[in-house]
Amino acid sequence: MIRAYHVTKRYGDVHALRDVTVKLGKGEFCYVTGPSGAGKTTMLKMLYGSVQPTEGKLLVGGVDVSRLSRRRLPYLRRNIGIVFQDFKLIDTRTVGENVGLALEVLGSSRDLIDRRVNAVLNIVGLPGRGSEYPPTLSGGEQQRVAVARAIVNDPSILLADEPTGNLDGAMAIEVMEILRAINLRGTTVMVATHDTGLMNRFPYRKLRFEAGRLVVS
Amino acid sequence: MPQHLKHVLRRALRSLWENGYLNSVSSGVIAATTLLFGVYLSVQFNLNNMVDTWDRDIHVSAYFHPDVPEQRRFDVRDQIATRDEVTKVRYVSSDTANLWMQERMPAMETILQELGSDTLPSSLEISLTTTAAKPGSIDTFARTLSVTDFSDVDYGQEWIEKFQGFLSLLKLLGAIMGSLILIAALFLVMNTVHLVVYNRKDELEIQKLVGATDGYITAPFLVEGLIQGLMGSLFALLGLAAVHRLLVVRLKDTFELAITTELQFLPSSYIALLFIAGSVLGVGAAFLAVHRFLSKVN
Repeated sequence: MIRAYHVTKRYGDVHALRDVTVKLGKGEFCYVTGPSGAGKTTMLKMLYGSVQPTEGKLLVGGVDVSRLSRRRLPYLRRNIGIVFQDFKLIDTRTVGENVGLALEVLGSSRDLIDRRVNAVLNIVGLPGRGSEYPPTLSGGEQQRVAVARAIVNDPSILLADEPTGNLDGAMAIEVMEILRAINLRGTTVMVATHDTGLMNRFPYRKLRFEAGRLVVS
Repeated sequence: MPQHLKHVLRRALRSLWENGYLNSVSSGVIAATTLLFGVYLSVQFNLNNMVDTWDRDIHVSAYFHPDVPEQRRFDVRDQIATRDEVTKVRYVSSDTANLWMQERMPAMETILQELGSDTLPSSLEISLTTTAAKPGSIDTFARTLSVTDFSDVDYGQEWIEKFQGFLSLLKLLGAIMGSLILIAALFLVMNTVHLVVYNRKDELEIQKLVGATDGYITAPFLVEGLIQGLMGSLFALLGLAAVHRLLVVRLKDTFELAITTELQFLPSSYIALLFIAGSVLGVGAAFLAVHRFLSKVN
């Protein structure tokens, strides 16, 4: 599902990633870990096409991201769900509208959007909360809304950048349970985190980065 | 209606409502610009009309030499009347011209009477067909009039040509001023739309992350721009109608000029042009503002 061949990313003279080669199969769950500035976020950004590799080749779902044009980028992202540490929800839109956004950009009908939104809100444990606004929800609930938005169009890959970084222990575990459940449905999940407690509780493959190098794969 | 179009319209109307103040500012700037454009069009339209009317009213005045006998004058009149390019010929005797002068200038009546009835030369007033009254043709016609019969030929064409030159200059100045105003307005509206875009920056970034194309993000802004443009043009048109009404009344009251009754409001083709200008301004500014934002977001 994800293949990186000698991928390097430089910002001027600074190396964010150095010569990374890694493979991730379909339906796999893995952590991207390491200290701050190790290159975790850069790795994820490259996977959803926000930045392009300086060198090397990166394939995501068979698409060569290193050569992807700006025009084709939206079509790659429709197959990838993304969850951020700061949730990135639109406060002026209801939970339902936030979740349905990923379907709206595909031009789906209102009926389909409503049905899918209700279904994924059930999956993340927020049934019947579609009409509420994000600021009225707790941090854990907001992150679950973000997860619901990421999976509403049934993507084959889910990328989560520090999804539990803003949550306390119990809420973090709740969110990880949801990510595990999504993975069990066949979605490839990649979670960037440096929370060792969480990684021990939910043991999966770890990709450890240090100063831009992949040291454990 | 296709789903995409429904989403676009819904988002455009929602954004218009949510960013009411900024959208009003955009519409206001468009209204002010199209009002200026409308005033320019109105002035140009009425001046063109005026020149057209004068063109139609042009006639040649040919003044007889004092020593041409009266019978010869009638013969010349009849001869000219048979020509294809002539629609009407009127003989104005010296006495008639003198009387006309006295009526128009009562203060000079005594002097004119003292000078005698043959002070002003007798003449022919020759009306021409529309084609013959054109600048080049009227010149040619005037040259064909016999120099042995006439001492002077006058047809006021030179003055009208000068006025037409002034009109061309006015058009050029209008085009230059119009372009500058348009650029300034485009810049102003673009920056206002940019503020709306910036207000919704997070939302647009999220849309990009979930796979929205640039077209999907841009479309509602273009619809907003179109609505702002049409609203702005409508306000401009109302303003223009008010100015027109006021101007006609004021000019009539102040100068009692017959000309004010001929001041016309813009015809439908010019009104359409006004709406097109407003729409192009709104849509163009929105496109540039969103394009500038999207070029910075990945």
